[in-house]
Amino acid sequence: MSLRDRLVSFAIEKPKQVFYLVLALVVLAAAQIPSIQVDTDPENMLPHDQADRVFHDVVKERFALHDMIVVGVVNDQNPNGVYNKETLTDLHTLSNAVQKMDGVVRQDLMALDTVDNITQEGPGSIRFEWMMKMAPETPEQVARIKEAVSRLPLLQNTLVSDDNQAAGIYIPIVSKSESYRLSQEIQAVIDTLDSQNQYYMAGLPVAEDTFGVEMFIQMAISAPLAGLMIFILMWVFFRSFLLITAPMIVAMGTVIITMGALIGQGYTVHIMSSMIPIFLMPIAVVDSVHILSEFSDRYRPGEKPQQALKEVLGHLFTPMLYTSVTSAVGFASLAFTPIPPVQIFGLHVAFGILLAFLLTILLVPAYIVSLSDKRLAALKDHNIEEDDNSLLGRLLAFTGRFSIAKAKALVVGFVAVVAISIYGVTQIQINDNPIRWFKEDHRLRVADKVMNSHFSGTYEAYLVLEKGDLAEDRTLLDSQLKQFAVEAGGELPAELDKILDAVKNDAFQTYTDNLISAFDEASYTRPAAEESVWLAMLEAAENAQVDAKYFLTPEALSYLEGLQAHLNESDLIGKTNGLPTLLKTVYRELNGGEAEQYKLPRSAAAAAQTILSYQSSHRPDDLWHIVTPDYRATVLWLQLKSGDNQDMSKVIDLVNAYTDANPLPEGVEANWAGLTYINVVWQEQMVNGMLNSLLSAFAMVLVMMVVLFRSVKIGLLSMLPLTVTILFIYGLIGWVGKDYDMPIAVLSALTLGLSVDFAIHFLERARAIYNETGDWQATVAEVYRGPARAISRNAVVVAVGFTPLLFAPLVPYITVGFFLATIMAVSAVVTVILLPAVINHISNKSSLFGSEKEKQNA
Amino acid sequence: MRNLMRAAVAALSLTAASFTAAADLTDVNTIVEQANLAAYYKGNDGRSEARMVITDAQGRQQTRQFTILRHDEADGGDQNFLVAFSRPADVRNTVFMVAKHTQSDDDRWLYLPSLDLVKRISAGDKRTSFVGSHYFYEDVSGRNISEDEHRLLETTAEHYIVENTPKDPASVEFSRYKVWIDKNNMLPVKIEYTDDADKLYRRVEVLAVEDVQGHPTVTKSRVSDLISGGFTTMEFRFLKYDIGLDESVFTERSLRKLPRNWLRRPKS
Repeated sequence: MSLRDRLVSFAIEKPKQVFYLVLALVVLAAAQIPSIQVDTDPENMLPHDQADRVFHDVVKERFALHDMIVVGVVNDQNPNGVYNKETLTDLHTLSNAVQKMDGVVRQDLMALDTVDNITQEGPGSIRFEWMMKMAPETPEQVARIKEAVSRLPLLQNTLVSDDNQAAGIYIPIVSKSESYRLSQEIQAVIDTLDSQNQYYMAGLPVAEDTFGVEMFIQMAISAPLAGLMIFILMWVFFRSFLLITAPMIVAMGTVIITMGALIGQGYTVHIMSSMIPIFLMPIAVVDSVHILSEFSDRYRPGEKPQQALKEVLGHLFTPMLYTSVTSAVGFASLAFTPIPPVQIFGLHVAFGILLAFLLTILLVPAYIVSLSDKRLAALKDHNIEEDDNSLLGRLLAFTGRFSIAKAKALVVGFVAVVAISIYGVTQIQINDNPIRWFKEDHRLRVADKVMNSHFSGTYEAYLVLEKGDLAEDRTLLDSQLKQFAVEAGGELPAELDKILDAVKNDAFQTYTDNLISAFDEASYTRPAAEESVWLAMLEAAENAQVDAKYFLTPEALSYLEGLQAHLNESDLIGKTNGLPTLLKTVYRELNGGEAEQYKLPRSAAAAAQTILSYQSSHRPDDLWHIVTPDYRATVLWLQLKSGDNQDMSKVIDLVNAYTDANPLPEGVEANWAGLTYINVVWQEQMVNGMLNSLLSAFAMVLVMMVVLFRSVKIGLLSMLPLTVTILFIYGLIGWVGKDYDMPIAVLSALTLGLSVDFAIHFLERARAIYNETGDWQATVAEVYRGPARAISRNAVVVAVGFTPLLFAPLVPYITVGFFLATIMAVSAVVTVILLPAVINHISNKSSLFGSEKEKQNA
Repeated sequence: MRNLMRAAVAALSLTAASFTAAADLTDVNTIVEQANLAAYYKGNDGRSEARMVITDAQGRQQTRQFTILRHDEADGGDQNFLVAFSRPADVRNTVFMVAKHTQSDDDRWLYLPSLDLVKRISAGDKRTSFVGSHYFYEDVSGRNISEDEHRLLETTAEHYIVENTPKDPASVEFSRYKVWIDKNNMLPVKIEYTDDADKLYRRVEVLAVEDVQGHPTVTKSRVSDLISGGFTTMEFRFLKYDIGLDESVFTERSLRKLPRNWLRRPKS
């Protein structure tokens, strides 16, 4: 007994067991759902161990960088912008309240009231003080703050915009997952401030967390809505609740078990996986519709339904299995992309499709045999096959005649469409930007727009320059010291070995610190005769330590300065901040504050002393956000006006062009970090990954088609509609100028899996009919009566099933909904029009169809 | 007999009173004044070498070494400090000088040898970082006791616990701080700072006290930033009191031309 027969017999003979089994699975799966974890972090588009992501995390850690919520305070009414008593007082109140909130990294919060000011106070005198410790009370105090900010390049256009209309509060947070809660708390404080200011909240963490919250709403609305749409549509087609109950049960069961399995395995629900229910529902009902249609055709009232069921399932099992497996392969091919959320999505939809197949095979027969005779009779009363005179019937009959009559013109037409599409594909703009996941009028999109129009840009990218490791310097110092000791002789070499042994595991900075301290101690406590040797060693260690602080040297600093100047010229970059910016500012203030003193210190020691002065402030640790304490790595902060991946890529090119023309100093490496950069990385991976997944899925489906039809020609023919559809859809995207982003990328695999189904049904039936009639014209007429109608109906069910996505508040859902509906429509049309036209051109139809007998159903 | 009795009672009560006085001070201002003297005014002058290790939240360390010369004009009154850096080598000979005044703002100077620059640092906020460490300038030279209101919270077996609130809250970042003063030597051994959200955010602790020329002296202390997790330890060595410093050492001239005789490590 084949697997098929065993399944069918089980379903027919033990319907109760089938129900209990499915029910148990559903309950078990449903129990997992409450532990759902939503993940909207774009960083998770990359695996945790992906090199760029690891580096990004290392950079965040080394430079103590936190994710930030940015609050913008905008006043475009007052001629002085935010520089008025009321606005600054509100800003002060807000910033103060935020500092007390849990989850805020208070010491790194940047706002006018938490930053320092260095000012001149008479000749030879400088003053370190808070910029705005208390809210200003007089116009003079306000003017002083304005004057002070404009003098400090690190703050100007970061804390207050160049047009003076906006001020920012940069709120570093401990954990991104708390940003929605914090944004609510911040909003509550804002609501208590009554003034003429507008407030905006921006920053990726808020966007992500908000997306997560709205995703839940989306899932709770769209999935049931899709279910309802399908239900209504089937009612329109079949007009029998009895009939459509079975597919609905299959669909619900599939969705619940699949989501339960996903959550139960501990996977987080990402944007992609939140769409799983909406994908599975339309796909899951299609097979049951086939079974019910055929069953009601064959069943004679009064008979036992078992026999008719066996016949129907015997007949449908293979095409249903193949369409399910090909769809599953299309989705499963997403596992070849290097993007974990897309992999999880693809594999679970694939699992869901196979599960839907299994549930259909088991549940639908069990459902039918459980029906009373009266109900079975009622089922028969509904004429499932539509009248040939219906609108759809007449349209399809016309289409059949048309596609044969105008076969030549059609083929030429499709070739033209393909050619135009291919050109469109070459025009595709690869681009994404998580903020665009929200609609244009979403408050976060609005905030993003307003903030970027006032400030230098709220998108941050970090260019990290790093001088190679210190292994060589260390070996050199060790041997230098040993030489001193050996030359001096006596107990010195042994003493030195003891000291070296004690520090051998320390990092270079600590290693030299400890050597220096040990030599200092020895010069004092060891016999006087040794003193000069110990002091010589001490000097060697000190020199090595100073030499190691690479990013204090004029060479390194002037390279950075040049690079910054080059970047600042670009329109893409609002502003760069870096160690040179800080040094030049402090140096200028130390030297009287005149603009011509805005320059780099002349020597490494001068730079070190300038930094020591800077560290005598309220926020000495700000330094460590741009350079590491060993001065071996530094980061240039780029503030970008746009978070588009394309723009970030242009910035990368800009830096590459500079480093090509002005090679990095020896041993220095430059690498990127920052979320804006990370987005570019995963997008590139996705584009390549999608191509792989598409090609591999294409190959697998082709092989399966050849095996299914036992014919290379028909196998190739069956790939034709999906090929044309994919090219058309992506050509359209290229022509329309829609950015190729994450949802669009995922569509290719889906198209492939779904639209091959139509070709399978069409060709399978066409061959069977041709083998019966032996006449092509008759075959076409017959095909357009039965299978073409089923295809059209299924296309409509699936397409309409996806339309609730169009009403989603989040853009990726809308994109997927729109394109899936389009894909279904296009591939159905291509299948029913192009396939007959192409077959019409194949002269020997008997050899195309005839080589093989009807497959055995035993 | 009656007289004798009366005398005995009087003697007893007197003894009791004097015992109480010796064991427990009750006037908070006296306690604070004595603690101030114990912490900052030992001897008439002094020299010490400090080694400061700054550890950040990630455990990364930086070291600074400097020599401090101090000269008191009057106990509990004006003082002069000169801090000369010796390490790291790239800041060697950087000098920081303070003329501390109890009745007016302090005068502060900074000398940066590689910029050949003497800067006067305007009297402003003294609660800024001392050269990037977790110590504030004010921790090094001492906070003027007249800037706070003091309240004796508790007297334990070992400590006087004094709460201090600023007279001008706008001038400082804390809302109050608590000091534990060792009853034996009157040294403040622990200070905890609370912000205006009533959150403890900063702690100063004494880790070691040694006897130097008969004066109990702090030789190791630590300041912890309880929010970031970073901390700085400071160790004093080669301490010596009453070495004969005079005011002439603490002039602007000394910034460029260091008083090497005084800075040199004394031969035991």
